[in-house]
Amino acid sequence: MKRGLALYAVAAYAFLHVPLLVLAVFSFNSSRFTVWEGWSLNWYRAALHDGQLAEAAWNSILIAVASTVLSTIVGTLCAYGLWKRDAKWLSGSLYLSLVTPEIVMGISLLVFFQWMFRFLHVQLGMHTVILAHVAFSLSYVVIVVVARLRTFDASLEEAAMDLGATEWQAFRRVTLPVLAPGIAAAALLAFTTSFDDYVITSMVAGVDSETLPMVVYAMARRGANPVLNSISTTIVAALGALILFSERLRES
Amino acid sequence: MTRRTLFLMGLAGAAGCSRGNARRLNVFNWSSYVAPNTIPDFEKEFSVRVRYAVYESNEEMLARVMSGNSGWDVVFPTNYFIEPMRETGLLAELDHGRLPNLSQLDKPFQTPAWDPALRWGAPYMWNATGIAYNKKLTPAPGAWSDMWSPALAGHMTMLDDPVDVFAACLKKLGLRANSRSTGELIRAQREAILQKPLLRAYLNAEVRDQLVSGDVLAAQLWSTTAQQAIDASPEIDFVYPREGFAVYLDSAVILRESPRKELAHELLNYLLRTQVAAAIVVAARTATANGGARAFLPEAIRNNKTLYPSAEVMERGEWSQAATPEIQRLRDRLWTEVKSS
Amino acid sequence: MTRLRSLFLAPAGVIIGVLFVAPLAIMLVYSFLTRGAYGGVTADVTAENYQRVLDPLYAAILLRTFVMAGTATLGCLVLAFPLALFISRAGSKKNLYLQLVILPFWTSFLVRTYAWMFLLRDTGLINSALMAAGVIHQPLPLLYNDGAVFVGLVYGYLPFVVLPLYATLERLDKGLLEAAADLGARPWITTTRVVIPLCAPGFRAGALLVFIPCLGAYLTPDLLGGSKTVLVGNVIQNQFTTARDWPFGSAVSLLLMAFVMILLMLLIRRGGEKLI
Repeated sequence: MKRGLALYAVAAYAFLHVPLLVLAVFSFNSSRFTVWEGWSLNWYRAALHDGQLAEAAWNSILIAVASTVLSTIVGTLCAYGLWKRDAKWLSGSLYLSLVTPEIVMGISLLVFFQWMFRFLHVQLGMHTVILAHVAFSLSYVVIVVVARLRTFDASLEEAAMDLGATEWQAFRRVTLPVLAPGIAAAALLAFTTSFDDYVITSMVAGVDSETLPMVVYAMARRGANPVLNSISTTIVAALGALILFSERLRES
Repeated sequence: MTRRTLFLMGLAGAAGCSRGNARRLNVFNWSSYVAPNTIPDFEKEFSVRVRYAVYESNEEMLARVMSGNSGWDVVFPTNYFIEPMRETGLLAELDHGRLPNLSQLDKPFQTPAWDPALRWGAPYMWNATGIAYNKKLTPAPGAWSDMWSPALAGHMTMLDDPVDVFAACLKKLGLRANSRSTGELIRAQREAILQKPLLRAYLNAEVRDQLVSGDVLAAQLWSTTAQQAIDASPEIDFVYPREGFAVYLDSAVILRESPRKELAHELLNYLLRTQVAAAIVVAARTATANGGARAFLPEAIRNNKTLYPSAEVMERGEWSQAATPEIQRLRDRLWTEVKSS
Repeated sequence: MTRLRSLFLAPAGVIIGVLFVAPLAIMLVYSFLTRGAYGGVTADVTAENYQRVLDPLYAAILLRTFVMAGTATLGCLVLAFPLALFISRAGSKKNLYLQLVILPFWTSFLVRTYAWMFLLRDTGLINSALMAAGVIHQPLPLLYNDGAVFVGLVYGYLPFVVLPLYATLERLDKGLLEAAADLGARPWITTTRVVIPLCAPGFRAGALLVFIPCLGAYLTPDLLGGSKTVLVGNVIQNQFTTARDWPFGSAVSLLLMAFVMILLMLLIRRGGEKLI
């Protein structure tokens, strides 16, 4: 059985990674088409010179960082508060936001921002995208942190308070450090979903806030484009390196 | 002052500088619809920084601008979108005083049926929907009814657009493409449902690559996109179907929400210049509404039968019209039923 | 005591209230209004939109969406479990293997979909390789059909199922497995009769994380399915763009959400496990 499982795992990983490997290999193909022509860095050069692409990538990173910071902080506090005692409306709304299809969320936000415009002259832009991203990643953060909190022994906090700490100090000095891995995982999740989002972003993005997924979608719609191959390969390589690096750090 | 504060101030200053003091203009256009130097030249001449983005369909454009606070200044809707956009208050009226180059337009485009006084849009490029096909098909397709041929099953596509698909069906039945009769539309829908099993997919511009690679042998396609495919491969050709076809015009419009209407007018006037329009045609293979520009075009393009078909071919063409809200609702529902079948 | 707690809950409350509940409330109001002549809404109150959704056409679309989401979910569950099992038994390399599962997920889902289009086209890699090897002489129609959509969805959501299954497997009482082995059960029996039932919470969580997004999916089916089918996500998106019928689109959206909420409550009641 063990051998069977291992074989299956190889096949499963192949299924997961082969498409990306193929994209990577063909990003070095000098021909536009599937026929292999020769090694070339053309498409990477083209991607680098594409100003729109660079700006979209920068926007994506900016939005992801901003929304991750916001949603992680707010979500962690919220998870802690809910852990102490449930607030039905809040947890119910968080559940609801989890099950809302992306397109419904995107459209409802668009409609909302349109109403905001009537009264507050809010224009679609980076800020609307960041707000939208916080809205949908909040529930993910809360879930991850709550899961982590459930394995946390509440008596540690009580002990700290018995020894004279205020509630805030107990939270900061005792609970938070223990929660750290959970918070990190939640932040990672929030970052990834934000960086990857297309549907909601495309609905609430303004003129200056084109993100990488939007550019990728536009390019994919125009047909096969090897520049897309080079972009995706770069992203995967960069993130893969980041993961391996953080693994090394953790092990050492 | 701590070093940290100085550093942050420097960053802020740098951020401010990168924005520059140049004026801004936000332009949203169809993909592959300008020459490489069209926008940069405009930026240089008028000291403007243009944000230029592209879209693939009117619906995509409308989805972004319909909120009324999208931030775009100039967009390029197809003619049958102008009336709905005007009715929902999205457009700003054009000031002809700022658009002297309007006189460069071809006669028919100076008083189009949907906007006789050119109050809302400056005609830009026009195209028509026909059939792009691989020359190895014998006999070569020449009519819409050829797109219902079982011999092509699995190798042909239609556009992912109810307006175009129903227009083709209506023409196949010998009816007007802009029919407003419920009965006729239902007959057209039946044709579409019959055709669907034979289709490979409903694709827009992305079918161009599949035509070139040979995956697709016949596709309903716009003339400009077809010309781009022809440029990429000598095996592709384009035909205006015998039964007739729909003709479209894309115009430049100024959105009412724009705080930069004077600058937008400058852009429209600039695009109407004969040299500029001619350069766009050569680079992007489009068909310009600018009569003055046609004189500037190289011989090969001026007489290109795909982009500038002869008068007798144009006889069979029918200008697209905006549908009434009721007809649009019906067409929408019929299209959902087709896709659902 | 409670003041600190309220302070902690306040920001989340504001954000969810303003950016989620309020927009949904607006949509609820819209769903009872009438469409304006060219778009937007007028103030006429009506229940017509909800009546329209009861039309057999939309029922058929909903059913088809369900079947598609259901098969994708099933596919994910079946494919994810052995992988999660493998990772949980991998000893020191566990973390690495887990990261490898998530790594493809880090690229944009569009890029992943695009990769599959690149592979499945008639002139794509799979067909070219098979033809070059002489296995087939005509390219196989791998793209623009339900199969391609299935592959695309499973590929996109597999990591979402592997993670909760792995988490559940990790928390499994190893003593139970030892007991089964002591009683003479072979590994296969232990897995099917003991492990899988005990992983029910993981299966439920994973199923939820796949089924719900799949219900609203429209991009992957469009790109990989050739725009030949209409799913609930397409209907909703269409109403807010081409059709410009916001009230009807709102009604469809809210009904979809109501249905999902009911499903969620049923699942949670059975499982007894709360996520939040």
